Amino acid sequence: MKSKLLIAAIIATSTLITLNAEARTLIQNKGSDTLVNVAQAWAEKYRDANPEVAVAVSGGGSGTGIAAMINGTVDIANASRKMKKKELKSAKKQGQNPVEHVVGYDALAVYLHSDNPAKSLTIAQLADIYGRKGKAKKWTDLGLNVPGCKGQKIIVVSRQNNSGTYVYFKKAVLGKKGKYRMGTLDMHGSKDVVDLVENTPCAIGYSGLAYATDHVKLACISSNGAACVSPSVATASDGSYPVARPLFMYTNGEPKGAIKGYLDWINSDIGQCIILNKGYAPIKKVSCK
Amino acid sequence: MNNQMFAATQLNQKNQRTEKLVQLLFILMASLLILPVLVILATLVVKGGSILSIDFLFTDPTNGMTEGGIFPALLGTIWLVAVALIISVPLGIAAAIYLSEYAPDNWFTRLINLAIINLAGVPSIVHALFGLGAFVVFFGFGTSILSASLTLAIMTLPVVIVSTREALQAVPHSFREACWNMGATRWQTIRRVVLPNAVSGILTGIILEVSRTAGETAPIMFTGAVFFSPFLPQGIMDQTMAMSLHLFVVSTQVPGVPENLPYGVALVLIGMVLLMNSVSIAFRMHLRGKKKW
Repeated sequence: MKSKLLIAAIIATSTLITLNAEARTLIQNKGSDTLVNVAQAWAEKYRDANPEVAVAVSGGGSGTGIAAMINGTVDIANASRKMKKKELKSAKKQGQNPVEHVVGYDALAVYLHSDNPAKSLTIAQLADIYGRKGKAKKWTDLGLNVPGCKGQKIIVVSRQNNSGTYVYFKKAVLGKKGKYRMGTLDMHGSKDVVDLVENTPCAIGYSGLAYATDHVKLACISSNGAACVSPSVATASDGSYPVARPLFMYTNGEPKGAIKGYLDWINSDIGQCIILNKGYAPIKKVSCK
Repeated sequence: MNNQMFAATQLNQKNQRTEKLVQLLFILMASLLILPVLVILATLVVKGGSILSIDFLFTDPTNGMTEGGIFPALLGTIWLVAVALIISVPLGIAAAIYLSEYAPDNWFTRLINLAIINLAGVPSIVHALFGLGAFVVFFGFGTSILSASLTLAIMTLPVVIVSTREALQAVPHSFREACWNMGATRWQTIRRVVLPNAVSGILTGIILEVSRTAGETAPIMFTGAVFFSPFLPQGIMDQTMAMSLHLFVVSTQVPGVPENLPYGVALVLIGMVLLMNSVSIAFRMHLRGKKKW
């Protein structure tokens, strides 16, 4: 009897709480692990700007966000790559109409252990390391000798295949039809890549610049024989860094109401200063405190 | 002559030595079990103890989840567990009562038993995908506490059913027979005699369920828990943060988290489970003291 009363009490309280809840709009925001921390920061700060709108953020990868957009289970999907034609098609089939919004830019940094003597790497060298047909299996193949790395074998760190970072890096380094080599270590999350490289002298990995720490080295990248460019917010904004990409948010149809308000706020100076502070490049020049 | 008869022979002595050795070995093995628990707890306390405070428990995370507390996650876990219990406990107990007290031994009962055993063996990630397909998409509950708790409830249902059934069957059959002889119906017998005597066992099952529900990450990841939500859940259709997912997030997804934060979250989670377990053990001992057999 007592337990029945307890259950009844719990149900009654939760119903009361639900009824008393002030009318507020919920925005579902899901996707890219690259964007998830910025999305979190936006959601956290937007509470102060507009307390009537709650933004719930989930990660999982660009593929997860896009799949949710196709199924119609999110309001805003975060992606660090463009939606593929096939994905757009299946979205249309489900009655969804994904509209793309660029919310920032990300320099995809190549991470090396702090003892690695490499100063710069060319895109061709990266293709040799990451590509299915690449020749570089040892650091000595690139004329390097990495202290603390037994046998000089390169440990190639990559991402899981529903990651937008995985897809973008493949396209930028290995070309449209390129394939990653077999036997890469595929990590679930941008931070995991950096953590692994930080502790593994033999390793090389790629991840968003925002995940850089003081304990890893960022390779200076050169493409087509030009001088190498270090990854930074500035070189990502002006387009001189060769592996920089736009970051997207997708909405179903042109945004309206609360979703429009949120996206407008993201594109405003306040929103863009938040993304800049997180180590990504803003979509426009902003002056932040 | 008599003395010699009971004096230990060489064989006796050898057997006794072996006996002692074997006993020692088993004691050692049994005490090894405590070791991981102690190591885990000590690591958590040493590395995460410094962050614990009332503020840590009752404030929101701030500054990109690298500072502040864990209140939304803590509250979210309580919501998820409570709603899962509301769903699975009545269902599980009813099923167990049927299986133990009413069910005839036929193919249908055997099928139900088989289903329960199989349900218990399904990995939690499969439950997660089932929950996503069934509750989030098909029934249209969306990603919400309701979907997540339904998923958790289905996942933990076998634990409740099996432990309740065992608790019911532990009540001596003669109790029931005595009751029936007095002219009581089956339901009267169950309500007045069987259930009161089985409460402690049923409670154990429920507590086991609570512990498991609070710690699960996979089933709630797709169905109702979020990386971050700036508001506390206000109803079962809301999404929520949860302790287990929050632990995963702060230890692998967020850069610049101070080292003691993930350990602190883990400490609170394990502390919650240990607290619930010890409360239930105390309660059970209290009930056991009242038992008449």
